[in-house]
Amino acid sequence: MLEVSGLSAGYQGNDVVHDVAFHVDQGEAVMIIGSNGAGKTTLFQTLCGLLSPSSGKVLFEENDITGLPAEQIARLGMRFVSAARHLFPRMTVEEHLLLGAYPYKPDPETMSIVLDLFPRLAERRRQRAGTMSGGEQQMLAVGRALMSKPRLLVLDEPSTGLAPLLARAAYEALAVLRERGLTVLVTEQQVPLAIAYSDRGYVLENGFIRLEGTTEQLAANPAVRSAYLGVT
Amino acid sequence: MIANLLDGIVLGLQFGLLATGLTLIYGLGGVLNLGYGQIAVTSAITVALAMDAGIPVLPAVVLGLLAGGLFGLLLDLTILRPVYRLRGEARVLLSLLLTLGVSFIIDGYLNWRYPLKALNLYIGGGAIEILGVLMRRGSLLASAITLVTITGLFVFFRSTSLGRAIRSVIEDEAGARLIGIDPKQMLRLILVFSGVLAALVAVTRSMITPVDTTTGLSITVFALIVTVVGGLGNVVGALLAGIILGIVNVVAADLIGSYISLIILLVAAAVTILIRPAGLLGVKE
Repeated sequence: MLEVSGLSAGYQGNDVVHDVAFHVDQGEAVMIIGSNGAGKTTLFQTLCGLLSPSSGKVLFEENDITGLPAEQIARLGMRFVSAARHLFPRMTVEEHLLLGAYPYKPDPETMSIVLDLFPRLAERRRQRAGTMSGGEQQMLAVGRALMSKPRLLVLDEPSTGLAPLLARAAYEALAVLRERGLTVLVTEQQVPLAIAYSDRGYVLENGFIRLEGTTEQLAANPAVRSAYLGVT
Repeated sequence: MIANLLDGIVLGLQFGLLATGLTLIYGLGGVLNLGYGQIAVTSAITVALAMDAGIPVLPAVVLGLLAGGLFGLLLDLTILRPVYRLRGEARVLLSLLLTLGVSFIIDGYLNWRYPLKALNLYIGGGAIEILGVLMRRGSLLASAITLVTITGLFVFFRSTSLGRAIRSVIEDEAGARLIGIDPKQMLRLILVFSGVLAALVAVTRSMITPVDTTTGLSITVFALIVTVVGGLGNVVGALLAGIILGIVNVVAADLIGSYISLIILLVAAAVTILIRPAGLLGVKE
């Protein structure tokens, strides 16, 4: 579904990620883990079109989306939920969800799926996004992305700024979505969380992919265990 | 006193509508259009010329509105191209300089070709009494059109998906792009739309006082003051500031004299900015 090869990208000619290659197959949940500053956010911003790559290629469902602007990639059915969330502070929950389907009419069935998944959003339909808690904002960012019925959901650090219980709830929601056939690519610093919910993973270090494997393989790897799982 | 208040509200509504166009362009694209008044005047002259050519008033007004929209579209397609390549402060500054240049060219051309032309849609008939005050029919019609337009604007921005999409770009451009909204497309749309608004204000203005080729600069200055006081990028702020400054302007003109009223307006604007740097309803960055 998503095929990345030889991708390098960064800011003002200084590459932060180098020659990155990975793939995500239909129906999979794939994680990219790494410590703070490993280049996860740069990589994801490049994938979704907010940054342009300096070299490499990104294929999404056989379409070459390398260097396409974010709005075009979003329309192809690949939705990005940024760690910064990028909500619209003075707009209500309901307006966010309606806008998620733009330019199409929101599908009532999708709306009820989203509201079932995040009952909190249903309770706060008329509340402005800027006045909500971090956890609610995260739900809204995911809910807005889901309204377009994406085939691939790309999440940058969904646990950012969330209390452990809420972070776990966010991943449980992802598990529900996967059962409905959504393909998920996620970066995470809180590796134990991501490992529990993913099929495969890649380890990004200083902008390079160092390791890859199934989550079982990664969880058994001594380097991963000591660096990310706190096991010595 | 009530007469002043009503006159001020009439003027203020027009100020507010004028500033709405300017503030939307700034909010969406970080572009300040100093050729805004010239769009209004060009539209007014278009209406006047069309009427000279024997076209009835309503179709002539429609032509004027189209001319305003076309002017906005042309700005987007030509002079603003290099502006879009810049970001932040540089973008504001370049847009300001280039559109100021456009305003000089338009002013020069209109004063050379049509030095004596003015749009005057004076509406006759007796005055109508409101709250014990006699109001001219032109003022009432201008206010009615302006109010209907403002109401339409609110409905558009609150209840249509295109309106929400435009607001989302003002709120968070990256967020809008991530859900498939193209900010450049929205900005082009708003430039056309603000051109139509400028034309509409010129037409309603001409029901109260003639709009001639020299009016452009003062329209831009009024719109700019109201926009800044209301908070750049804030439509509700622009309307509120428009009404307040409209009243200030009329009362000042009546009590002190119309030559001083522009200075009073500027002082009112400066005081607002000192107290609330982001404008009346502006959001702190």
